[in-house]
Amino acid sequence: MKKGLIILVHIFGILLVLFGVGLQPSAAEEGKTKFTGELEKNAVIRVLENDTAIKQGYLSELLEAFNEEYKEYGIVARDANMDQYSDLENDGPYGYGPDVLYQANDRLMRYVDGKHIQPLPVEDLETFQVLNDSAWDPFQSVVNGKEYTFAVPVNIQGPLLYYRKDLLPENWETEYDENGNGVPDMIESWNHLYNFSKERIEEGKWGYMRSFLEPYFSIGYLYSYGGYAFGNNDTDDTDIGFSKGNSELGASVIRQLAGIMDERCIDDTITVTAYSQLAKGNFFATITTPDVYTLFIDQMIAEGMSKKEAVDNLGIADIPLLPKSGDLSETITDWDSQLMSSIMMGGIQGYAISSYTKYPNASLAFIDFATKYEMIYRRNELLGIAPARFDVAEAVGGLSEIINKNLTSGLISVMPSIRATAQIWTPLQTFFQDVAKDPFRTGSQSSKYTSLEAFKKELEKVDKQIYDAIHTLN
Amino acid sequence: MQDTNKTIKTISDTSLIGKIGLYFKEKWNGIKDLVTNSNKKTMASFGIMGLGQLLNRQWGKGFIYLFIQIGAVFYFVFKGATDFIGLFTLGSVRSNPWEGITGDNSIIMLILGVLSVIFLIAYFMLYIANIKDAYNTQLRIEDGKLPRTLKEEIKDLLDKKFYKTTLFLPIIGVAVFNILPIVFMILIAFTNYGGVIVETGDLVDWVGLDNFKRILTLGQFSETFFKILGWNFIWAILSTSINYFAGLGLALLYNKKCVKGRAFWRGFPIIAFAVPGFITLLAFKFMFSYGGPINQMITGAGGTAIGFLDLDAGWTARMIGIFVNAWITIPSSMLLATGILTNLNNDIYEAAEIDGASLFQQFKSITLPYVLFATTPVLITQFIGNFNNFGIFYFLRGGLYIDGYFLASDTDLLINWLYNLSINNNYYSIGGSISLIIFIITSVISLAVYIMSPSYRQEDTYK
Amino acid sequence: MTSYNEVRRAKRKSIKWKKIPDTAITYTIILLVGFIFLFPVLWLILSSFSAQGSMYDFDGFFPKNYSLATYIKLFTDTAMYNYPKWFGNTLFIASMSCIIGTTLVVLTAYAVSRFNFSSRKKLMKVTLVLGMFPSFMGMIAVYLLMVQFGLVNNHWGLILIYSSGAPMGYLVQKGFFDTIPITIDEAATIDGANKFQIFIHILMPLSKPMLVYTALTSFTWPWSDFILPKLLLKQKDMYTVAVGLMSLGEDEFARFAAGSLFVAIPIIILYFFLSKYMISGLSSGAVKE
Repeated sequence: MKKGLIILVHIFGILLVLFGVGLQPSAAEEGKTKFTGELEKNAVIRVLENDTAIKQGYLSELLEAFNEEYKEYGIVARDANMDQYSDLENDGPYGYGPDVLYQANDRLMRYVDGKHIQPLPVEDLETFQVLNDSAWDPFQSVVNGKEYTFAVPVNIQGPLLYYRKDLLPENWETEYDENGNGVPDMIESWNHLYNFSKERIEEGKWGYMRSFLEPYFSIGYLYSYGGYAFGNNDTDDTDIGFSKGNSELGASVIRQLAGIMDERCIDDTITVTAYSQLAKGNFFATITTPDVYTLFIDQMIAEGMSKKEAVDNLGIADIPLLPKSGDLSETITDWDSQLMSSIMMGGIQGYAISSYTKYPNASLAFIDFATKYEMIYRRNELLGIAPARFDVAEAVGGLSEIINKNLTSGLISVMPSIRATAQIWTPLQTFFQDVAKDPFRTGSQSSKYTSLEAFKKELEKVDKQIYDAIHTLN
Repeated sequence: MQDTNKTIKTISDTSLIGKIGLYFKEKWNGIKDLVTNSNKKTMASFGIMGLGQLLNRQWGKGFIYLFIQIGAVFYFVFKGATDFIGLFTLGSVRSNPWEGITGDNSIIMLILGVLSVIFLIAYFMLYIANIKDAYNTQLRIEDGKLPRTLKEEIKDLLDKKFYKTTLFLPIIGVAVFNILPIVFMILIAFTNYGGVIVETGDLVDWVGLDNFKRILTLGQFSETFFKILGWNFIWAILSTSINYFAGLGLALLYNKKCVKGRAFWRGFPIIAFAVPGFITLLAFKFMFSYGGPINQMITGAGGTAIGFLDLDAGWTARMIGIFVNAWITIPSSMLLATGILTNLNNDIYEAAEIDGASLFQQFKSITLPYVLFATTPVLITQFIGNFNNFGIFYFLRGGLYIDGYFLASDTDLLINWLYNLSINNNYYSIGGSISLIIFIITSVISLAVYIMSPSYRQEDTYK
Repeated sequence: MTSYNEVRRAKRKSIKWKKIPDTAITYTIILLVGFIFLFPVLWLILSSFSAQGSMYDFDGFFPKNYSLATYIKLFTDTAMYNYPKWFGNTLFIASMSCIIGTTLVVLTAYAVSRFNFSSRKKLMKVTLVLGMFPSFMGMIAVYLLMVQFGLVNNHWGLILIYSSGAPMGYLVQKGFFDTIPITIDEAATIDGANKFQIFIHILMPLSKPMLVYTALTSFTWPWSDFILPKLLLKQKDMYTVAVGLMSLGEDEFARFAAGSLFVAIPIIILYFFLSKYMISGLSSGAVKE
């Protein structure tokens, strides 16, 4: 009798183990088991959005609409009331993080290593079919041999050229539109903008103005001539590519552009003053992101224009074409053979779900709601963002469509999502400052960049600095 | 034979090892005496805290000690023991947030482990106090006196033993919030908590002296390290002395008899003091920028803009740093000096003046020794504070890597370099090791200066 | 045959004449010093009244257009930036830390200055050495400790840390106490006072300037400390002023200036309130020599 009992217990134990093993989620399913499809009743979801969305009232609209829709389940979504740049790594594990977060791709993907954000069953979302393929890339990553998607893209961030339409020469349609496509030359090509800026300087004003300090905007020049951040499609941090290709031509372009500005392009002065100086008409053009559109309009109104006048006078365009030769003073006779498109750095923002949330299904429902057609359309209306959904982009047209297309064609190079990205900023910032300062090194200081080789050498040093910063302590 | 004994005795009397040996010998003898002389009641306190006191009818004290004993037992059984063991293992179960598995968090285990050690030490000290107390009561009884009542004890705590009452809370606070983080940081230096392990939330292991070996053998480090170390010292010495003497000078200036409305004039530095430091730093950063007011004035007058803080600035940037730091610190330095000077009797000055001493002589022989005496420790603390002043160059000139420096600029202090290396990359273990090295350097110097100063040796000069 | 008094009178007169250029120089320096300290603050004040958003828009040092709009916005536009709440938070934290911290540090300094207990010198050396650690490395430990105690996103967590750190600065107060002759203490003991009473009734009144210094510095610190509150306070309505102001957008410079200036106000008020205590402490003749 006793022996029998013992054998029974052993068998039971073995069965338990087998049963348990069977119940273990297979590697392919790891991470997605939380999404059962059953909405948690009476959930309170904390949503972390960015400041502009809160300021312009979009977030409260979104939350209200969602809460209305999901009233029957008792699910309520709230503003997380945290800093938009909160680090989930520090907050999440201890219970202080939000449930749903909206951040840029480089921030979000940093959480993947520590498994702080959940892989998402994106095929189930309404927005899946209508999203630009290139928009998904930055949010995908391979863990344990399988590829997962960690966030849903919402907004493509890419730089645009802002300019004063009313400061164009009166006769630009006849005199300044060489290729006759209805776009002024000085908006379409850097060489023509360069020359126009020189003309304006003679009149005591400024043409194109931009601080070169910020790597985010200056990196594009390096990219356009063959430089890149990390090898193997921005995933290999042993291959730093800022000095590769003919990137020194890009650096030379920067130096030339600095030559048509004053010393304020060396630090961040111009960045901060751009809005009001453009509004005053002292600056003709600058490059910045789409979301600060309202800042320009506000400043122009402060200068005495009516809202209609301001909107009419503020022009926005795609980034001008660069000369293949890298020389902005070159006369352009044949557009097709001498000019090429600019590649600029951009980013994608999207929604992700914290692994520490108690309400994964409700959170997923929220994301589904926030990324549907009407909400994305409204987001574009209020905030001026370029949606990642190509159906909305087409419907809105204009620059949103252009940015969307630029992403697909590779003219917008999304910020790398790997951790090592954090190391590229300071060396690049120092380099760009150095190049921007060069035209002003007169008198006792001698110019440092007297040849293309000088640029190349310095860029190679930057690469080495970044490489060392990433790998020395590993 | 006797001579040899004498020689040995003299050697042990004078040498350091001898002194330490003698110290422990005395302690051991004291313990032996206590143990052998204790009667049964005192022995009871060996077993359970408070029992001896209760047996002596000291109800208040007895119950307090008993309560502590019970609390300690509860803590150690339910938490302390596991925390203590965790200190050595640093966890073995990986967490997986995707599956909702909360594994072991090595770092928290480290902290809780250290906390448990602190509690252990505290408990041990209370245990000893309890035994000594019971023993003393025993001696009192043997002398024919009554054991002390709780009322008497409390009276004592307000008088002869007042220092115990006052130091009780501060010591706990310091132990938990200052000593613990420092011990934690030192221990981190001996682990591999950094980089990939932080990013993936992996478990941490002890690695002994690995980190230190890495630092000392990495070529790029040493060159940058010594350059920054040199500048760091110059900076600390210059800024501390300027701030100190300028503050003192201002205090003396405002104290002059011919100045009317002192509180009003002192108010100007106080206004500067009242504005939060980082705001001042940002304001000065703007003032010296290319688009800032100073450069606007220069270009307006026809000159070329000066890059005060840009990458070519070199010593200009360093001097601006010193000036800005002075602007921020002198007000509080002045306040301190003013406070100290109030106890200096003015009659001495009058007498000296009538005797023909010049202002400078008065300053040198009366004011300076007095103020230095009262503030040498403060001077040392300010030196260290300036040495480790992270904010000044972070806000004024952050984000630059200058040629010839590995991940640093020419105005960065060691602590800024530390930040660039470790926090930016999450290399806490390397950061911990470097901090430890900095700490050893600074503490050796400061201790030496402090012990040799009159503030430490002749504390009773002005008393 | 001139008397000693006549000589003294003559000397005093010559000293008096020498004093006129001396006074002139003194006031010149005082005015110069006042200007240097006031100027950046004045600039901040004028910027806060600026009608424009960005600080680079001024022509020269000062803004062109002025308006009160910023100040009004500071207190009414609280949707994104709830300045009144931040101000209240910081006021609470600063006051509590000031009271608790000052009490603890003064008591500690008294104990170390007046009592000669066995571990005294050791304690002084240890605390001096402890104070030299670069504090931000220990921030991780502090954060995780606070997580364990459940005091993250809670003002008492900050108050606890500030108050516990205050006694580490006891050396300043101790230095001051060391300049008060111990004969005063002894006289009081003869009169029957215990140490606690000596502390309250004798030493404290004599230490008013030092208390002013301690109270001011411990009150001011939480207003400007940025690192610790950023670490411990997670939600925007729990922020202190320092963290809140740093979270402002770059186009909000006027608001930034206005917000920072408002911070200066309680501190300046406290200073003027306490300045009457900065008088000489020993002039009352407590001990008959």
